Amino acid sequence: MHVVIINGSPRVKEFSNTDKILAKFTEGLTENGTTFEQYEVSDRKQWDAIRTAYNTNKNILMAIPLYVENIPGLLLEFLKTFAPKNDGTQLSFILQGGFAEGSQLRCGEAYLEILAKELGCEYGGTLAKGDNFSIRFFGEQTRERVTSPYKEMGREFAAQGNFKSEACRKFTGPETFPLMIRILVGAMFATVARKSFKKIAAGLGCTKSLKYRPYK
Amino acid sequence: MILVVNTTEDKEISGKVMEQAKVMGKDVKVIEAGNKKIGNCIGCNYCWLKTPGECTVKDDYEEIFKEIIHAKELWVISDTALGFINHKGKNFFDRILPIATMYLKFKGKEMRHVARYKSSPDVGIIYSGEADKAYLNRWTERCAINFESKSLGAYSTENIKEAVACM
Repeated sequence: MHVVIINGSPRVKEFSNTDKILAKFTEGLTENGTTFEQYEVSDRKQWDAIRTAYNTNKNILMAIPLYVENIPGLLLEFLKTFAPKNDGTQLSFILQGGFAEGSQLRCGEAYLEILAKELGCEYGGTLAKGDNFSIRFFGEQTRERVTSPYKEMGREFAAQGNFKSEACRKFTGPETFPLMIRILVGAMFATVARKSFKKIAAGLGCTKSLKYRPYK
Repeated sequence: MILVVNTTEDKEISGKVMEQAKVMGKDVKVIEAGNKKIGNCIGCNYCWLKTPGECTVKDDYEEIFKEIIHAKELWVISDTALGFINHKGKNFFDRILPIATMYLKFKGKEMRHVARYKSSPDVGIIYSGEADKAYLNRWTERCAINFESKSLGAYSTENIKEAVACM
């Protein structure tokens, strides 16, 4: 099997969480001989090459960060130039987001099924998972821990040919968290997480409060 | 203030909205953004972590954003593509990120970003072209949840009267 992978993130590859997820996913994907080629939508110079790869292959995988409950505007701009294929091409998706609950990804996931139909492709399912916001800020060890589960999903995709298995469904994790977890995590948001975000901001050169209002 | 932002180049749509609003005695402010330079969100997260509240992409969006934070309602007129609003409409929503802070909290059963400003506008969509209306309504609902406001719904340009009645 050969898979064309399109990273739909508008963020440059170096800082793309989606790219780091794909790095781990493709490790598992290729273990038993599956091959792939990967493109980045953030690089407009690649757009013609992506179109060619999309039009000449029948197994396409788009990896997408959730932007305001749907796919990023840049990806929409790119995809509107595609004509419906209607040739049996399968289009599958990896959808990742910042919020941890599965429920936060469902609206975006629902659109991906519509999108596959609009593009004249067969829907190969969506591997949806959140809690990925900080991947690019993590050190190597933590990043490895957070992204390594995607390696198993790469193996699963290679074995099943799509994301419709029970293992892929379970990969999302809980739809919402139980009350006790919400109370605990909520307390962390107000304390530890704020400190952590302030530290990241300071590292980026931020000198203002993160609640600063630049416009009156 | 009821703010209507037309991301299409068809000024007849916003003209019809204004005409209908006048008939119904509603005061709306229209911004024609179809020819404005509004790029896509590049996902840098600087508006949360480096220049809080300020987008790093410097284009015509900033002036509109200054209006959004004072609006009671935000209506976005958008062309459609691939069963959804097109990239110009979506870019407009993607760029609204500075309205929230990096900080998180739970609202009901879901995590949310803490709002940067005291109030956020309710959100409505007027779309021109073919789209999945049921999905657009669902999406608008989700957008509103993120703004901690309410959805005013998604309406085809064939139902402008209905949309203005909700303003």
